[in-house]
Amino acid sequence: MEPRARSFYVLSTIFAFFILFLYGPTITIGILSFQGEGGGLTFPMRGVSLYWFYDLFEQQAVGDIWGSFRRSFALGLMVMVVTVVVSVMGGLAFRQKFPGSNILFYLIITSLVIPSILISLGVGLLFSQSGLNVHWSTSGFGSQLTWTLPFGLLIMFAVFNRFDKSYEEAARDLGATPWQTLRHVVLPIIAPSLIGVALFGFTLSYDEFARTLLTAGSYNTLPLEIYGMTTNVTSPVLYALGTLTTVFSLIVIGIFLFIALVMNRRRALKVSDAGKGV
Amino acid sequence: MKKLRNNFAISSMLMVSPLAAILLIFLVMPIVLIVIVSFWRATEFSIIPAFEFDNYEFLFGSPVTYTVFFNTFKYALITWFCTLLLGFTIAFYLAFHIRTLTWQITLFLLCTIPFWTSNIIRMISWIPFLGRNGIANSTLISWGVIDEPIEWLLFSDFAVILAFVHLYTLFMVVPIFNTMMRIDKSLIEAARDAGANGAQILWNVIIPLTKPGIMIGTIFVVTLVMGDFITVRFMSGSQSANVGRLISNDIALLQYPSASATAIVLLLTVLITIGILLRFVDIRKEL
Amino acid sequence: MTKFTHRNGLSRRTLLKGAASTAVAAGATTLGAPMLWAQNIKDVTIRQFGTGVSNLNDVATKVKEDLGFTLEMTALDTDSVTQRAATQPNSFDIADIEYFIAKKVWGAGNLQAMDTSKIANYDKIAGTFRSGLLTPESTIAQGTAPHTVGFTSGQNGTDFVQEESGWMTLIPTIYNADTLGIRPDLIGRPISNWSELLNPEFKGKASILDISSIGIMDMAMVVESMGEYTYPDKGNMTKEEIDLTIGIFTEAKKNGQFRAFWKSFDESVNLMASGEVVIQSMWSPAITAVKSQGIPCVYQPLEEGYRSWGGGLGISAALSGIELEAAYEYINWYLSGWVGGYLMRQGYYSAVPETSKEFMSADEWGFWYEGKAAEGDILSPTGNKLAGAGEVRDGGSFFDRMGSVVCWNSVMDENQYMVRKWNEFIAA
Repeated sequence: MEPRARSFYVLSTIFAFFILFLYGPTITIGILSFQGEGGGLTFPMRGVSLYWFYDLFEQQAVGDIWGSFRRSFALGLMVMVVTVVVSVMGGLAFRQKFPGSNILFYLIITSLVIPSILISLGVGLLFSQSGLNVHWSTSGFGSQLTWTLPFGLLIMFAVFNRFDKSYEEAARDLGATPWQTLRHVVLPIIAPSLIGVALFGFTLSYDEFARTLLTAGSYNTLPLEIYGMTTNVTSPVLYALGTLTTVFSLIVIGIFLFIALVMNRRRALKVSDAGKGV
Repeated sequence: MKKLRNNFAISSMLMVSPLAAILLIFLVMPIVLIVIVSFWRATEFSIIPAFEFDNYEFLFGSPVTYTVFFNTFKYALITWFCTLLLGFTIAFYLAFHIRTLTWQITLFLLCTIPFWTSNIIRMISWIPFLGRNGIANSTLISWGVIDEPIEWLLFSDFAVILAFVHLYTLFMVVPIFNTMMRIDKSLIEAARDAGANGAQILWNVIIPLTKPGIMIGTIFVVTLVMGDFITVRFMSGSQSANVGRLISNDIALLQYPSASATAIVLLLTVLITIGILLRFVDIRKEL
Repeated sequence: MTKFTHRNGLSRRTLLKGAASTAVAAGATTLGAPMLWAQNIKDVTIRQFGTGVSNLNDVATKVKEDLGFTLEMTALDTDSVTQRAATQPNSFDIADIEYFIAKKVWGAGNLQAMDTSKIANYDKIAGTFRSGLLTPESTIAQGTAPHTVGFTSGQNGTDFVQEESGWMTLIPTIYNADTLGIRPDLIGRPISNWSELLNPEFKGKASILDISSIGIMDMAMVVESMGEYTYPDKGNMTKEEIDLTIGIFTEAKKNGQFRAFWKSFDESVNLMASGEVVIQSMWSPAITAVKSQGIPCVYQPLEEGYRSWGGGLGISAALSGIELEAAYEYINWYLSGWVGGYLMRQGYYSAVPETSKEFMSADEWGFWYEGKAAEGDILSPTGNKLAGAGEVRDGGSFFDRMGSVVCWNSVMDENQYMVRKWNEFIAA
């Protein structure tokens, strides 16, 4: 192991500041979620208590956090699944040229760069002019897909660009059908990226605000609901929600890492004898 | 041979059909509709099919439009510059100084956790962080760096840029990191063997090779900033505007035709900017 | 989420069943006798949307208790509320909107007029909403006064008529008189005029709300108070008047008078509570919210008077059958006092003060309505202390406050022009 260059320490400090910067609001939220009962959303702190965490599970004066949370969660899962499936199919399809592939590619880029408010406005208009009702599971769903799909597709394009075709060739030489090749060779290799796409899809959908603003219909998703709640007094209960979400994500990531570590160790134990047959 | 290629083409087209369908319904048709509606007229609460250029005339005739577009570009440029510096440094650190994949992933994930909390909650929390009595000011005062709270930390252009950098740096880090990981390490070794020091390696080897990543990151950041309206409104205390705000104000008042006209102009501006940027990188290859 | 007290629900339902059978038999649609009260009323769901001001979950709970059906509430900001009322008629059953919004969206035909003969407490509704006169000696304030947009010609009328025609566009439920909110501890001297908002003494510490229909009225009050101009009708300005008003404020903005603008209630609370702002346009419950955090905040009565707003419930044009009957029942229940009392204990006024009185303690009634000094602690409906013994409500009694209203939130003829100018102001 070569010793660390001096630049490592400089860069590490910069990185540490960066993390601090990213976590600034999260830390503020964390501190304020322990706000005393009489306190508000800003300093000064009026005492310290767990009051708002309890309050989170009570009915709010205005707004329905848990209902909209369920909706956001369900929508996030739907978007996640569709994004993964469509991205994989798209990634596979784009490995060769086909009629319209250029146009489609530029459409994907457009979908990515188009300001969210345009999608919101356009889809809202589309549904209202054609007489359909906007609903979070139809128009909201579609609008969010225009946001998550480009990300998923770009990731898949990147993955397939670096994909070593020789694995597939080897499988074909051994007599596998295209479907078997897909199932047993391609998918396992791209599996980690699929998880990345899924995670991306869910996160982007869960926190999506601009594209669902006009397309969610009568029942709000969580970001919209929170936004609606700010039309009346909001309380540090929102901060409690924020802190819990952070803790929850830390736990989820911790679990993933743990599983990854365990699997790595298992794989290392199951030492393969490939390449030792000399 | 041709039949084989055709078969591939057909199977590709089949596989891509759901994607095409989604994009058609939720991207193409809405845009077409916006274009159509931008020529309509509006009353207080409804829109009337028509064909008139009034909305565009008003848009190009009003000084507000130019101020607002200028603001939009200003924010985009400054944010781009800051995120580039910061993002490049972070990506460099993650790609070249972190040894194991596990740590890289862990640090990445660490960076993304704050974004799991709702955007709106995070925005509300900037006030207690940056405000007159907020954490930042109180800390600085208690360290004796300043005597009075700094006013322009919040509700100013500084605050807007800060929020943008906070939100979008990661979008710059990821593509740059991606490209950096693909740099053949032997190139760097060769440069070192040829006698280059760290700075020269950076300037002559690494940066040119990461240009595609920088381009992609730029595209992300610029379009996100140009399309944003909530961050600007909130962090400037509603005192400054960009194009997104014009559109959202119009929508809020049911003036869909003028909102559509502004939206089309914004879309064209963004597409032109992206078009220019894409000439510097072949995105399909460089992914 | 719903507390179902069997005793209440059962006794009321048996009572109603009896009443229903007689009502059906007699074919009467008179006071207090609901139409159809079969068992399946439990399955009815009414969707209501509005701003957070009155979309309170406690109301939904009480509706389930008292009336049996489910009330689903969605809270949005003012502009989104306008939008939904105008463009998504099938997404709601009841619209809880302000009268100036009604002026904007009534013509879209998404709401149906309500038959006032079916409204039990119609005669007890405050005069402001029916004839426009609070007392026989009152003058009608400028702007979009509720009674000018409160009545229409028939059940599906899309116009407004100026007499009590028997068909109301909205049933008034809530209103208040608005003024500027201040931090007396940070200002340190008495404030008595609207013009103080632009006083350079408060440079960098003032704020105004970023909702054009309301903000323009506050602006007009300030301009008139400064002596710059006297408006024939603040609620209906000409292009030149709009230019003048917004011009004055744009200059102030460029001079750094404002710290920020707020668009949502909660932003206004944060600005005041954190001390970023010491004088701003504010809404009454925001004052109570700041006070309940222990921070001194006063809703300052000013010489020139108040700006007022009123809100009410409207019924979707798509509603019919048993849901329509449930809607009428809901409205009658709304005016029968429980909600009125709840809202009044937050600082609003109920459109039917008489019935609300029965749901408030004598001390509360004295404090909130009569402007008398409190005898004990005054608590909000959620239990926070809002005032202590001996304190008097800012502004005094109902007649002191509502009697000093000089303008209403308005939609002017030149609304589109005004909006454009407002956008310029924001972008300047």
